Amino acid sequence: MINEIVIISGKGGTGKTSITASIIPFFENLVLADCDVDAPDLNILIKGEIVEERDFIGFQRPVIDYDKCTYCGKCYHSCNFNAIREDIVINTSACEGCKVCEYVCPVNAITMHDAVIGKIYHRKTIFGPMIDARLNPGEESSGKLVAEVRKLARDVAYKENRDTIIIDGSPGIACNVISAITGVSKAIIVTEPTISGLHDLKKVVHLVKMFSVEAKVIINKYDLSLEKAEEIKNYLSLMEIEVVLELPFDLAVVNSISNLQIPSTTDIAFFSTKEWFDFIEYLRN
Amino acid sequence: MKIAILSGKGGTGKTTLSVNLFSFLNKGTLIDTDVEEPNGHLFLKGELIKEESVLKKYPHVNDDLCTYCGKCGDFCNFNAIIPAKKKVLVFQDLYHDCGGCSLVCPTNAITYQDKEVGKIYYTQVSKNKLFLYGNLTVGEVSGVKIIEALKEKTENEELLIIDSPPGTSCSTVSAIDGADYCIICAEATPFGLSDMKMVVELLRAENQNFGVVVNKSNLGNDEIYHYLEEEHIELLEKIKFDREFARIMAQGELLINHSEYFKEKMANIARKVLGESYDQ
Repeated sequence: MINEIVIISGKGGTGKTSITASIIPFFENLVLADCDVDAPDLNILIKGEIVEERDFIGFQRPVIDYDKCTYCGKCYHSCNFNAIREDIVINTSACEGCKVCEYVCPVNAITMHDAVIGKIYHRKTIFGPMIDARLNPGEESSGKLVAEVRKLARDVAYKENRDTIIIDGSPGIACNVISAITGVSKAIIVTEPTISGLHDLKKVVHLVKMFSVEAKVIINKYDLSLEKAEEIKNYLSLMEIEVVLELPFDLAVVNSISNLQIPSTTDIAFFSTKEWFDFIEYLRN
Repeated sequence: MKIAILSGKGGTGKTTLSVNLFSFLNKGTLIDTDVEEPNGHLFLKGELIKEESVLKKYPHVNDDLCTYCGKCGDFCNFNAIIPAKKKVLVFQDLYHDCGGCSLVCPTNAITYQDKEVGKIYYTQVSKNKLFLYGNLTVGEVSGVKIIEALKEKTENEELLIIDSPPGTSCSTVSAIDGADYCIICAEATPFGLSDMKMVVELLRAENQNFGVVVNKSNLGNDEIYHYLEEEHIELLEKIKFDREFARIMAQGELLINHSEYFKEKMANIARKVLGESYDQ
């Protein structure tokens, strides 16, 4: 069985990608998957080369043949997504591809066509193969794209006999996050000691419990507020979730990212401590 | 005037900017449309005056009328309704509310029932200031309906600030729809720059006017400024990172109440974006 590890956060900007990147060099036989498809940043540090690039077709969208259209307005009235304007022009970003408009059109002026909603990249990196993707700005169906990235990552893992997949997730709790966490072996939630961090942690903890995913928490930048860090620990102990790591705020981490270096490959002391190696050991098993 | 604050990357300071700018102004309405993880209410301690459910529909099949013809399942693009031999299975979470299944049902066996996907909350912050936020129920797949509800309730506001969700997907588009001006809250790191470029692409495609606030400007490098210059994008303000700011925000306090520096920054942004009329 493949060890699939996902890193999520609820709140954005807590350090998911920095931590994901820092974990990667400690694994030998892995596949990387960046599932933050509307802000994919992992490759900025990993620097993989594109081996294959392909369009992702999320669903079908209507195209109107204005030679046939009689402007009867049936499609406009039937669309529940306000994706067709009164003057019978399609608002692409609102369309969910349900094809009700095609069905109600009395003169067959509407046909459905494949819609490319993003791109999927297959990369070669010094740490192993990587799959990542980019959702076209404004698109929906990011959940579908995330599912596709994970599927491709598993295909590569089986084909190349790789035992671990590390998944960089996205902030929030909606379809893209649900899609990133379902069926994983472990979830690591990265939080920060702020009132917002705690609030958002609670929702994401609720989510992992709902989907029965084993989760542990990293409190990143814990020393920015020892009081809030304490509050987070109290909450987690009530929820019976372990804090697996507490990382201090360190300008050297920010600087290494600014220099496009993976923090754990620089000389930052934290990444050679016993706590860090215990954490890596936990992830491996 | 409707102003949306957005970011691409999470954690750049959208909410910090939104709640402090809003608190600096002497009137107006703020909506927090990051309904997956709303945080504005943690900083704006107003009086809760109303809460409303946001509903979505899901199909209900009347077994007495259903002939198990399978047309609903064939039509559905979302696998939300699957007719088995003697029972039609409905998957509420996959249902998109398009109404297709009842449209194709030859025996009118399908009607709709309501399900709550989340709530919106109305808060009176002070006499002239209203704050609304939405909260998506855990397990629901999309917050767009809640964002649309927030936008609809505030469409006639004279001065509206919209705190948007991170990313560049459909929820962000729905949050910024109808805005007169967008403020991108960015970070000077390579991640911040990369995510900001996606936002710029989105805003240009939507023909939006926008400018950039670089937050935590002393963390990172200069690349973002070169980019803004090359692309002729207005740099509205730079705000430095300070451990003391982080500590104040961590407690749920407003920075404008604690820092003259920060207050001055909000005044500059308000002046640039809103003009003198809203300056205090």
